[in-house]
Amino acid sequence: MKVMTFVLCGMLMLGLCLTGAASAKDTIVVGTSADYPPYEYTDDKGDFVGFDMELIRAIGEKMGKKIKIVDMGFDTLIAGLQNEKIDAVIAAMQASEERKQKVDFSITYHEIKDAILARADSGIELKSVYGIAGYKVASQTGTIQEKWIQDNLIKTGKLPEENYFSYERVDNAAMDIKAGRVDVLHIIADPAISLAEKNDLKIALITTEAVSAGQSIAVTKGNTELLDAINKAIEALKADGTLQALMDKYKLL
Amino acid sequence: MTEFFAYAAMALPDLLQGTVVTLKLTAGALVIGLVIGLPLSLLRVYGRKLVQPVCTAYLTVFRGTPLLVQLFVVYYGLPEIGVSFSRMAAAFITLGCNSGAYQCEYFRGAIQAVSKGQMTAARGIGMSRFQGIRHIVLPQALRLVIPAWSNELIAMVKYTAIVFLIAVPDLMNKAKILSSQNFAPIQTYVLVALIYLVLVGFLSLVLHGIQRKLAVPGLDAGMEGR
Amino acid sequence: MTPFVTMLQFLLPGLGVTVSVTLIALGLGGCIGALMAVFRVYGNPVVKGLAVSYSVVVRAVPVVVIIFILFFVISAFIDLSPFMSGAIALGFASGAYQTEIFRGAILSIPQGQMTAARGIGMSKAKAIRCIILPQAFRVAIPSLINEVTLVLKDSSLVFVIGVPELMRRAQYASASTMEPLLAFGTAACFYIVLTLVLSRLLETVEKRFAVQF
Repeated sequence: MKVMTFVLCGMLMLGLCLTGAASAKDTIVVGTSADYPPYEYTDDKGDFVGFDMELIRAIGEKMGKKIKIVDMGFDTLIAGLQNEKIDAVIAAMQASEERKQKVDFSITYHEIKDAILARADSGIELKSVYGIAGYKVASQTGTIQEKWIQDNLIKTGKLPEENYFSYERVDNAAMDIKAGRVDVLHIIADPAISLAEKNDLKIALITTEAVSAGQSIAVTKGNTELLDAINKAIEALKADGTLQALMDKYKLL
Repeated sequence: MTEFFAYAAMALPDLLQGTVVTLKLTAGALVIGLVIGLPLSLLRVYGRKLVQPVCTAYLTVFRGTPLLVQLFVVYYGLPEIGVSFSRMAAAFITLGCNSGAYQCEYFRGAIQAVSKGQMTAARGIGMSRFQGIRHIVLPQALRLVIPAWSNELIAMVKYTAIVFLIAVPDLMNKAKILSSQNFAPIQTYVLVALIYLVLVGFLSLVLHGIQRKLAVPGLDAGMEGR
Repeated sequence: MTPFVTMLQFLLPGLGVTVSVTLIALGLGGCIGALMAVFRVYGNPVVKGLAVSYSVVVRAVPVVVIIFILFFVISAFIDLSPFMSGAIALGFASGAYQTEIFRGAILSIPQGQMTAARGIGMSKAKAIRCIILPQAFRVAIPSLINEVTLVLKDSSLVFVIGVPELMRRAQYASASTMEPLLAFGTAACFYIVLTLVLSRLLETVEKRFAVQF
């Protein structure tokens, strides 16, 4: 019995040691939500790839630091920064006013558009985002698109609450569009195009109606050292054309 | 502390909406589990040898894999072979089948706890096996199973929490939306924990009262989880 | 067959993570559970109250919620990876159930044991440590074995905080191959195999150590 207790405690210690070793400070822990091709997603080896992923690794190189990527639910990223679980976030995140109150944002590295996804055979035609109010709507938990839908459609009564579904991952939401469980999905345009290709869906609308701000990298409030270093790196990448090259590589709008 | 209460006041209506869904799921899953579990347990105890591997396979699958995996297979996996359930249906089916496996074992324990002599006596006075089960063994077994079944009921309230991952608008789903829109994860989840605490506490009290009135003292098939 | 094999290889790294999380959680839960059980049975009203509240509250709340709360609470104080936060949260939750297991086991030890121990001059603490707990542990083995499979299955829940265990690997596989049935089905097979293997292993442990009633 004593042997077993020692073995169990030993495992506990070992586990603790293994993770303690990884928190050296020349590694920046970057949170993301890897369900958003072409910005961040996983390849068939399970590695993190995409525009944002390559960008942050390029930024890390410029800063001379290692980058460690952690995949979390999109809605937990800001909280992760606030609690200093992670040092930075790159996740196609818009620097909205509300978010700015909780975390600090770098300069914009990409201006975005939104899109509405629908089934290819659904016959859904939209002229404005308001048009989705008549359908079963999905978006991702914690996103600007979700907030827009809540403020402009649900709270005003245009969209009944039971017709709105909040998904943790957009790739699962896209699969549900295909399966007919929801009618429309409101997300950022580039992932929408990528998901449309993968799932045989169509883009019913591309718009900037619900866009709040450009995409930036977020850091914990007050971490000016990291923020300045990141901003410098972004400027450098803009200047030497790497940023544009990446945007072309991933065919961003 | 006051800001917690202010936040709670703001968040409660949404959370309570989600709680209603949670309770619906709990009730539905238990009923489905009962419909599956009771017959299955009878098959296990009284059925022919041929049926046993089927029962064991069902139990192995539903008790040997996490509830989460089962949910994803049913909701995301099955459409690939053309079987597509709505999210509520998938939730009911998965939770129900899962509960059925555990309820089967609880019923089996209770049935086997009824002394063999009861069945012998029933056959002895000319009852068929079926009549013996229906009139003699089952009524006793159902009384014996009450503690274990009450545990299952209370536990089910907690297991429904995972359906937020398939965007069912239950308590957890509402909590996630609130916590991310308001950047307040700890407050939100503490509130959620409190709601579950109240639900479970209330149900425990009620069931304890019923147990005291109906159950046979002494047998407790114990609590299992997922 | 080959897609299945490719899927197996893709999910394999997740297996190691799943097993490690489970082991750490069990170890932690065991330490907490044993301690809290002793508090509940032998402690003064203050620690007893603490142990009771812990056990009741943690068992009333879904494990997912506990994982979320601890993830954010732990990170406010210490810098831990999601893996460790998840394992600790899981251990914290398991501890509550193990408290009840150990409590039942301790209570089943005849009162005479404690009386005899005190009678030969042992302090309460020594008696608990040398006489009661070893016996209680043996009584608790069947329930603990059950708990092992439960924690193994609950380990899939740390998927929500980004730990790259089996479920998360399956999610990635499903997203990149567009074959959710294969991905999640294979993960399910992994779990079945794990539970069966564990059950066999633990059955032998049970035969050697458990008290025969």
